[in-house]
Amino acid sequence: MLRRIFLLAILAGVIGFGVFWWLTIPATVAAGALPAYQPDLANGLTTFNAGGCSSCHAVPKQDDRTRLGGGLAIPSPFGTFYAPNISPDPNDGIGRWSEADFVTAVMKGTSPSGAHYFPAFPYPSYQHAKVSDVRDLFAYLKTLPPVAGKVRDHDLPFPFNVRRNVGVWKFLFMNGKPFIADASRSAHWYRGAYLVNSFGHCAECHSPRNVLGGIVTAQRFAGGPNPEGEGWVPNITPRGISDWSVKDIAYFLESGQTPDGDSAGGSMVRVIRNTSQLSSSDRDAIAEYIKSLLPVEGPPKPVKKEKES
Amino acid sequence: MKRIVVVAAMLALSAGAVVADQNQVKQTQAQMKETGKNAGAIAAMIKGEKPYDQAAVDAALVKFEDTAKKLPTLFPASSKGLKPDGDYSAAPKIWEDKAGFEQHIASFAKAVADTKGKVKDLDTLKAEMPPLFKQCGGCHETYRLKKG
Repeated sequence: MLRRIFLLAILAGVIGFGVFWWLTIPATVAAGALPAYQPDLANGLTTFNAGGCSSCHAVPKQDDRTRLGGGLAIPSPFGTFYAPNISPDPNDGIGRWSEADFVTAVMKGTSPSGAHYFPAFPYPSYQHAKVSDVRDLFAYLKTLPPVAGKVRDHDLPFPFNVRRNVGVWKFLFMNGKPFIADASRSAHWYRGAYLVNSFGHCAECHSPRNVLGGIVTAQRFAGGPNPEGEGWVPNITPRGISDWSVKDIAYFLESGQTPDGDSAGGSMVRVIRNTSQLSSSDRDAIAEYIKSLLPVEGPPKPVKKEKES
Repeated sequence: MKRIVVVAAMLALSAGAVVADQNQVKQTQAQMKETGKNAGAIAAMIKGEKPYDQAAVDAALVKFEDTAKKLPTLFPASSKGLKPDGDYSAAPKIWEDKAGFEQHIASFAKAVADTKGKVKDLDTLKAEMPPLFKQCGGCHETYRLKKG
């Protein structure tokens, strides 16, 4: 009897591990799935700016947004991530990557060696990108200066450092569903929706996350505690910025200035460095889409304690 | 007895010092708010919501100059760690990286000086102001915290 229970337990363990293994197989894009294509470098630059690549991957403490040697420390509740080198350097960057490697990395969150990337890399948003935009981006990145130097490993405690576990995270929080389906809207609005939900990855910071680090879908764009540490990320649904006009949002993305004359702070300053480079048409499209979001109440802010003295 | 008086006096003095620091924080906030208001008035012109107004532009530049001059004294070490009312607080980085902070102030002051006298109409406003406003974000990126 005891022996049978023991055997059953082992069997259950093996099956469980099998399911885990199967569930967490990193997805890839095969080279054969990418037909011959002539990349558009100008669109690659637009994609680069919309995607905010340089915000994390540019070498910190210098002004050249095209030196993508990485190294920026990105704190999180799970440990500290270090943005890798994505310059075209053949040894330390992505110089030896195939186009399929790049598309797989950006849209599936899987490395060329077949490991999961951690979702600090916002591929849950990038998965919604058009493949042609990603291919243009790859071609554009290839034109940038190679930067030597490998970036140190991420600093994550167990069990967060087990990349295979990210497969479970992807299963839970990264569905392949298209981000939006609203045929009644204009092409301009749709462009904004596309930029915000794919490359712009606005929701990655402007949404609260659950204990596993997944975005709380019902409160997308409703802001929350800053995942990088102190402070609060604003609610960008009309519940948070109802007094902003479409023009105000577009001007903010261009200049970093809020309607009352205040300026963006924190990580948003880096975002503005990207959005200020977009065409005004793209900024207007983003603004139109953001303005059309449904008002959503965000998580409650912690109660202030200063009043007691 | 003497000791009690001394202790009481010390307490009173330090309490006074804290009040003074709180006042400093309030003054700092008022100065920054006023600066933002002037920047907002200019933004409204750039956005085309308000007509071009030379007097408002000149007043704003005077305010910016005043702020640039005062900034080095607005964040004394004694105000470190105070949590004021309002949406923002000063980041500890101001005191941890004093050299970097002062460099930002100098850069802002220079941008104001460079812009002074150059804005004559809407076109020059649109050309001159955005680089100056970049200075605001450049400093707020690192040295200001948005509160919970």
